[in-house]
Amino acid sequence: MRILEVLHMEPKIESIIDTFESRKKHMCIKGDDISIPDCNKATLPGTVTQRTCVFGGARIVLMPITDSLHLIHGPIGCASCTWDIRGSKSSRSNLYKKGCSTDMGEKDIIFGGERKLFETIIELNKLYNPGAIFVYATCVSGVIGDDIKAVCKKSEEITGIRIVPVQSEGFQDYNKTKGHWIGCDALLDYVIGTKELEKTTPYDINIVGEFNVAGDLWGIKPLFKEMGVNIISTITGDSYVDEIAQAHGAKLNIVQCQKSSNYLADKMEKKYGIPSIKVNFFGIKQTINSLRDVADFFDDEEMMERTEEIIKSGLNDVEHKIEEYKERLTGKTVALYVGGNKAWSLVRAFEELGMDVIMSGTKNGMKEDYERIKDTVRDGTVIVDDANSNELALLLKKYQPNLLISGAKEKYISLKLGIPFCDFNHDRISAFAGFNGFISFAKEVDASVSSPVFDLTSKKLMEQ
Amino acid sequence: MYHDKKFSVINPSKMCQPMGAIQALLGIKDTIPLIHGSQGCSTYMRFQLTRHFREPIEVASTSMNEKTVIYGGEFNLLKALKNITEKQSPSLIAVTSSCLTETIGDDMAGIIKKFEDANIGKELPIIIPISTPSYAGTHIEGYDNTIKALVEYLSTPSRANGKINIIIGNNSPADVKEIKALLTELNCESIILTDNSENLDAPLSESALNLYNEGTTIEEIKDTANSLGTISLSKHADSAGVLLEKKFGVKSISGPLPAGLENTDRFISSLCKFDEFEVPESIEKDRGRLMDAMVDAHSYNYRRKVAIFGDPDFVSGMTNFTSEMGMTPTILCTGVESKRFNEDINLISEKKGLNPTILASGDLYDLHHKIKEKPVDILIGNSYGASIAQEENIPLFRAGFPIFDRLGAQRISVLGYNGGINFVDEITNTILDYYYDEAGYEITEEESHESTRSGLFAEEEV
Repeated sequence: MRILEVLHMEPKIESIIDTFESRKKHMCIKGDDISIPDCNKATLPGTVTQRTCVFGGARIVLMPITDSLHLIHGPIGCASCTWDIRGSKSSRSNLYKKGCSTDMGEKDIIFGGERKLFETIIELNKLYNPGAIFVYATCVSGVIGDDIKAVCKKSEEITGIRIVPVQSEGFQDYNKTKGHWIGCDALLDYVIGTKELEKTTPYDINIVGEFNVAGDLWGIKPLFKEMGVNIISTITGDSYVDEIAQAHGAKLNIVQCQKSSNYLADKMEKKYGIPSIKVNFFGIKQTINSLRDVADFFDDEEMMERTEEIIKSGLNDVEHKIEEYKERLTGKTVALYVGGNKAWSLVRAFEELGMDVIMSGTKNGMKEDYERIKDTVRDGTVIVDDANSNELALLLKKYQPNLLISGAKEKYISLKLGIPFCDFNHDRISAFAGFNGFISFAKEVDASVSSPVFDLTSKKLMEQ
Repeated sequence: MYHDKKFSVINPSKMCQPMGAIQALLGIKDTIPLIHGSQGCSTYMRFQLTRHFREPIEVASTSMNEKTVIYGGEFNLLKALKNITEKQSPSLIAVTSSCLTETIGDDMAGIIKKFEDANIGKELPIIIPISTPSYAGTHIEGYDNTIKALVEYLSTPSRANGKINIIIGNNSPADVKEIKALLTELNCESIILTDNSENLDAPLSESALNLYNEGTTIEEIKDTANSLGTISLSKHADSAGVLLEKKFGVKSISGPLPAGLENTDRFISSLCKFDEFEVPESIEKDRGRLMDAMVDAHSYNYRRKVAIFGDPDFVSGMTNFTSEMGMTPTILCTGVESKRFNEDINLISEKKGLNPTILASGDLYDLHHKIKEKPVDILIGNSYGASIAQEENIPLFRAGFPIFDRLGAQRISVLGYNGGINFVDEITNTILDYYYDEAGYEITEEESHESTRSGLFAEEEV
């Protein structure tokens, strides 16, 4: 095993790659006495960071609310670089896909942008009559002190629709998780609990932290329907704002992306007494466990029986369909460099394909995230925090995984090294959640790992 | 339905200044672009650039946070310069500002001076501050300001070099290659500002991950003061040319973008104003092939109504080109407010007998509504036009930035005679695909009604 050799060769305290002194503690190899990497620290200035800003964090949490407009109060760049970044699908409205901006100019910086913001909100409401308008603060609107809360309140009185301020000034923190929380706060303060539940059943739930990227939600929803669980709202994938407004009436919150949304579930528990359970629909076993956990929560004999039926038929289908992929993938190695949640939740899913996770890292992980990663991966696995693009390249070169799972910015770093890549972020092309999702997942991983093009990358012209 | 829109921008057709700066800087050898601002600026721009070029894109950030915003960004900028110098030691660090650091009033030049003073005796990269406030102008000004700053800081008069400076503007690596090939055939030595042709269309190799090995060198930028003249392919990127003329008497010519036959002819005659170039037979042949392609295609293109959106020089260049081909440019949209753009379009319209709708400082909302009022047969622009094209059931010919829903954006070429041939063939084939059947007959009104897709836009507006 390559990793173990490396572990043997080098004393553990020494850095695994050449990097800045202060960054060396941010990567480690899991072993008996090794704990977790240093994390949740400010980004080193001057590096090519893979992290983003607080505004970005808030935007990706709220953007999947499809009947709403998302208005960026700032210079044009904040809108024009982010308006289509989330691959969240919609089964109904497409309003959320519009890139709206107040396009702050020099004059607004000098005299304040509140007036322009107000006029823009009124105009957008007239143009589209949206479910709500979410108004995002940016670095500059924050620095010049525009009171977006006051403007939102005033425009809400005039328009009669929800105008939700999101205090997401980009510079607030080096960790975009803060942005996720700010997005959740906007929902807690201005949306959830503002409408009474239209009809109740004993089995009402919210799916929290599921953003319907590539249609993930649609792989899960039918399973719940069959179980007899009633989904009041998903927060926020493929949702309408009116549905989220009724979320306080649920009996249970199930949390898929725990990184962004545990915060929301905890707050809802405090405020409305709604308990929550953590679920994970990436991978077969995890899907099964998640379904059983929900059925157990409702403690309903019939539901449990139905759930077992669903599991049985799902399992049957999956095992048969992934056989071919598994054959080719068994024994291959994977490196994960992803958002907090997936760094541990994907480890088991890869094991189910016969693959071996040899590195796992996140850009914005906190201590508890790394604890979970450490508990999930096997000894010898590299755990890395906030790797910049140079470090990532060095790690890939050193450990030569058969696959990197990451996002758009990392894609070509990996491919230029001849290392197959699979997007598990906003840009992925298929839904990966649930039983059917797992089949797509296996297929896509196979398409990367087993493609013959990667056999060519090391060949030289005059070799033959 | 209420359509008139005064305040909001909906689906922008422009980006901010730092984006234009980065686009210019990616064509320079051994250079690190550093954005002095929040992390999101560099990360989201890298996201846009990387999905367009399908290359790793390296842009460093000073990663400002709440504390540094309150006390000023000096600490972070100094630290960033130190880290870059120590770890990567590039030849040049180009520091661009952002809306945040401009608003809090960071004196980048002063901070850089401080860094240099503190490191006297050490070998430092050249460090250039570039002011690119995101709240003023657009990526067009960002590109222009960047080339100007580079030339302003670096150009040094010495001996005449007999070269011609070419300011490329925000064009694809394939276009840069085409212009370079044209210059080589003319036996014209040049300095390309900036040359992204290798960096942003790199072979599969590890070396693409390090500092760029190719591109315009610092020495070349220094030497721009000694050239015979400057030609800016884009009129909106000519400030450096104007500066060189004023400061060193290096004559400057602005545009037009060499797209199509007439404009490429003009480019070559502009070059000939600076020196006596002999046009070789190979160029005459390429020119003849472009004419041949246009003649072959003419019947499919005649009076096809076209809407074009993108950067101002791209739109005016393509307006001239498509009207040469016999098409009818009908709606022209750019995100930038520009007198020169309006003048250009008016001039072309007069010459060609056109009467297009001009949307300057427009967005894709405006463009879409105009298309509904004045239907067109084809749309030319970046990937953001795809949803409009789908809803209106017209084809989109992808050119410009960003293109993320098709492969090969770095290899789209429309400039010069060869780029022109590509364009004529490809747009005509697109028209054949959409408006003609498999036997080559034009699809009749009756047939096309059956296949009309009803768009989401239509539902939403009702």
